[in-house]
Amino acid sequence: MFMHNFKYALKTLFRDRMLIFWTFAFPIILGAFFNMAFSNIENSEKLEIINIAIIDNDEFQNNELYKQAFKTLSDEENKDRLFNTKYVTEEEAKDLLEKDEITGYMLLEEDTPKIVVTTSGINETILKYVVEEIVTNGEIVENIMEKEIQNGIGAGIYNLYNLDYEKIYKNVLEKTQNQDVKIKDISNNNLSYTMIEFYTLIAMACLYGGILGMVAINKNLANMSNNGKRVSVAPTPKGKVIFSSILASYITQLIGLTLLFIFTIFVLKVDYGTNLPLIILLGIVGSLAGLSMGVAIGTILKSNENVKIGIIIAVTMLGCFLSGMMGITMKYIIDTNLPIVNKINPASMITDGFYSLYYYDTLDRYYFNIISLLVFSLIMIIVSYTSLRRQKFESL
Amino acid sequence: MSPDAYDIKEKLGVVFQDVAVFEELTVYENIDYFCGLYIKDKEKRKQYIEEAIELVGLEEFKKFHPKQLSGGLLRRLNIACGIAHKPKLIFLDEPTVAVDPQSRNNILDGIQKLRDNGATIVYTTHYMEEVEIICDRVIILDKGKVLATGTTDELKELAKIEEKVTVEVNDLNEEYIEKMRKLENVDEVTYNGNILLVTYKKGKNNLVELIDYLKKESIKYNKIYSERPTLNDVFLELTGKELRD
Repeated sequence: MFMHNFKYALKTLFRDRMLIFWTFAFPIILGAFFNMAFSNIENSEKLEIINIAIIDNDEFQNNELYKQAFKTLSDEENKDRLFNTKYVTEEEAKDLLEKDEITGYMLLEEDTPKIVVTTSGINETILKYVVEEIVTNGEIVENIMEKEIQNGIGAGIYNLYNLDYEKIYKNVLEKTQNQDVKIKDISNNNLSYTMIEFYTLIAMACLYGGILGMVAINKNLANMSNNGKRVSVAPTPKGKVIFSSILASYITQLIGLTLLFIFTIFVLKVDYGTNLPLIILLGIVGSLAGLSMGVAIGTILKSNENVKIGIIIAVTMLGCFLSGMMGITMKYIIDTNLPIVNKINPASMITDGFYSLYYYDTLDRYYFNIISLLVFSLIMIIVSYTSLRRQKFESL
Repeated sequence: MSPDAYDIKEKLGVVFQDVAVFEELTVYENIDYFCGLYIKDKEKRKQYIEEAIELVGLEEFKKFHPKQLSGGLLRRLNIACGIAHKPKLIFLDEPTVAVDPQSRNNILDGIQKLRDNGATIVYTTHYMEEVEIICDRVIILDKGKVLATGTTDELKELAKIEEKVTVEVNDLNEEYIEKMRKLENVDEVTYNGNILLVTYKKGKNNLVELIDYLKKESIKYNKIYSERPTLNDVFLELTGKELRD
């Protein structure tokens, strides 16, 4: 009975063109578009080196992060460098800007960067974006420092009552540089926007599994579809039918995810590096979260299948947007101002898991996200199970 | 009946009013899927599926998908999915709605075969002529209440009228109609278009008497025939003639 239902659930899923489009084709098409768009940005005509100025005040001199970042970005030995940077006074900078010798200048005041430009264009946007990235990465360094202090105190490296901040900061910078993380060379190849977009793409593909979960529910419940009515009058335990359908949906989802990985690795030549097994594990767990979310939506909402599909797509896209699909800055805006949103947002858990592989040398945060996704899935399954247990029908 | 009353459920077959099949599966696969929820033995199931397909006349459409079928064929598939497991008690909810006469004929034949094979069939319909063809016992329900039960003959006896005479006649004036209303046993006389309908409360020679009257008044007619009241008349009489939602 289980295998009979499982076999036909797989058949119906694989022959449903709309489902196949959203779960198999759409992420692949989107991946191809990302590749075209971002590889052009990354590989195409080399950008001209942008002339900028930095106001060389005390605050800038005391801020290692900005100093190091602009030093790397303006390294004259690197022919692919982004900036030609002049370190000047504010008056001189204004004068240079007026004479159109620089695109803009940055003034650091009270740890807050201020960008001054006279026009808007690609160069101005790049300057603004780079500074935003430094701000974002500054927060990451702070997080790592916090962890370094905690670990250091625990290991007896630092004294809680007499912290040597300079030593800690150097250790952190050393670690980040040694471990080839993004912070050390914000302008170089390591900062691959394509990779970031592919991570969110995988998160999106995982959550689209919700459509499959919802369909598995809709096809088997008497109050959701005519076929569900027929299934419910059959002498088959409801749990067995629903579980076999959900399992078929999960396998379909994993096949879709596998195709996405194969396409991105072999066709688009995306290099996931040494973290590929962990990325795949996160994809598998993320798919479970997406699937269980779809099952819960399918169980709780009483509207028709198309409305539910619309809701799942909308929830997924919103989740991906808040977790940084359309710009990593959004993730940090939410993390800073509304952290609870990303704590319960499965897309954020998935992307955060990917970012943690990218940013951190330890896997603590990665596993934290894995556990968060499993807890999210469990909650969704309990909600669905409770709702299903209560359903009885007087008439069909 | 509780959801886990599997011993009862396995003896039931339900054919819903709305077609309940998977668009992604072929005719054969649909029947196999639903039959498989009842019959585990593959060989036995295969035989049952072939019999169900033969019963509803879908032999040539086994590999077709539902979208490729006409309305009538789809209804037949819907029935096959509900009865392939050979249930003892079958509920059919208006299975002939919006189907062509050939398909309707096929469906009614199939239902009679199921009955002949020993199944008890509960058939819901608004088509009284179907009831007269296939039903042994009838329940007339209106707004959830049982109005009458019995065989078709028993129900027809509930009708106020005994005979209906229909006459095709041109230009009949009101004076003659009034006179006809006063004839013996006449219950009601209506004249719509060129059809004169005379219903009688009782009596057996009403047709002869009406012909005599028409001759006497020199009323020319084209066609005249007598009928016993139908189940439709009984239904309308019991449930009223006002339109329903």
